[in-house]
Amino acid sequence: MSFQKRLLSGEFVVLAEMNTPKGVDTTQLIQNARRIKGRVDAVIVPDMDDGVMRMSALAGAVLMHQQGMEALIHVYCRDRNRMALQADLLAAYALGIQGLIVVSGEEICNGDHRDAKAVDDLDELGLLGAVRALEQGTDLGGSDLEGTPSFTIGCAVPQCADDKSLDCALELAAKKVEAGAKFILSPPVFDIRRFESFMGKVKGLNVPVISTVYLLKSVGAARYIATNEPGAGISEELIRRIRKASDREMECVRIAAETIVALKALAQGVRIITLGWEHRLPDVLEYAGL
Amino acid sequence: MITAERKPIEDLINSVSSCRRILLLGCNECVTVCSAGGRKEVALLSSALQMHFMKEGKPFEIKEITLERQCDPEYVEELVPHIDSADAVLSMACGCGVQEVARRFKDKVVLPAVNTKFMGASERQGVWAERCAGCGDCVLGMTGGVCPIARCSKQLLNGPCGGSTKGKCEVDPDIDCAWQLIWDRLKALGMTEKYEENIPAKDWRTGRGAGPRKIVREDLAS
Repeated sequence: MSFQKRLLSGEFVVLAEMNTPKGVDTTQLIQNARRIKGRVDAVIVPDMDDGVMRMSALAGAVLMHQQGMEALIHVYCRDRNRMALQADLLAAYALGIQGLIVVSGEEICNGDHRDAKAVDDLDELGLLGAVRALEQGTDLGGSDLEGTPSFTIGCAVPQCADDKSLDCALELAAKKVEAGAKFILSPPVFDIRRFESFMGKVKGLNVPVISTVYLLKSVGAARYIATNEPGAGISEELIRRIRKASDREMECVRIAAETIVALKALAQGVRIITLGWEHRLPDVLEYAGL
Repeated sequence: MITAERKPIEDLINSVSSCRRILLLGCNECVTVCSAGGRKEVALLSSALQMHFMKEGKPFEIKEITLERQCDPEYVEELVPHIDSADAVLSMACGCGVQEVARRFKDKVVLPAVNTKFMGASERQGVWAERCAGCGDCVLGMTGGVCPIARCSKQLLNGPCGGSTKGKCEVDPDIDCAWQLIWDRLKALGMTEKYEENIPAKDWRTGRGAGPRKIVREDLAS
């Protein structure tokens, strides 16, 4: 059953992020994907995540498709104007990619091509408008299309440090839902109680919420997020648990899996982010009983 | 200078239609020079608005003030005795002036009366043209004093693109091909070797690449 059908039927969906290589050697990407084939509903391919130049998400998604795996791609406005965005959306559909996640791209100055110029011709709502126009058979220039695409679109809610900024983010999310987003991706969950409160606020959007589980890689990574993302809710207890473990890497895998298990009763799915540790995805899935 | 054009009168009428008392604010700098928002334009717009609302039989008061510089807090402070008597400010300054007035008077609605266009120069009476894109890393020394970023439609750092005809840009025959201008000027200056140099891909961090910009002069900052 496709990701879209499972989502619509209210079943718990499992998504795993797979980053494309910085280069043309796709061996690792394909190997990692094969190891989780049949165990996830779809793969999400981010597009130059964190502002780091790498193979495009569209190419990565097509590679997943060739492996018989459904793929969703990130789309955002930093690197492409409205023409390029529409062209890539048409290309994506023609190549079998129907899942989109409209995200806000990382600032150029935080990436690895800091001297580049951002495009930002459209914003996220403008991009959702472009998708809707294409689905209705015209482009943003008003011309008719030969064949219309159809997408399942999600959007992300960022990590918010306080209720005020979360309210603001949810206001924007509501606009995105109105503009065509069919599901919401939560920020990474490290504290189930905090997520329960998030779910309480987000349920008014009346769309499925897919939670996010981020595989911590070390005490340093946990500490970094705890310091720089006050809204993440990483506790000292969690950091201590990793620090005291005899096999810290495996402890991080267990933490991610336990979080997924707890989220099963709360959200309609999970997105697992491993940021370069895609080889640990099978372990996460196994410990989570998926 | 920063150039601007007054918004259409219908838009301005709409923007102030819910107000009874307006402070119409001009600026004595760039928008005066480009005849968009100086004392004279303030008087003209004031008359037009008053005539409109008088015809509609709607009570409408307008106070006209033209500051020396609306982008300068020192001059904006002069509005303190007047600001409370207005429901809203209609500013004829560039976007910098509008924002400075809004920053100073946080509880006051400040509306723009002009569209800020570009940094440009006067070509002849009544004609202003874009000259500078404010990229923050000037290349005019390499291009014979003609800016390829502001004046080439494709912002080519190494042109021309091949689309120009008789020195004119393919975008519009009224636009000079910047790279033709650059070549002609380098030739006239005996500096054609400059054209042989490839200008490397630009570091846009000095432009808007790293977000909104700020200049801090430690020797002057208080």
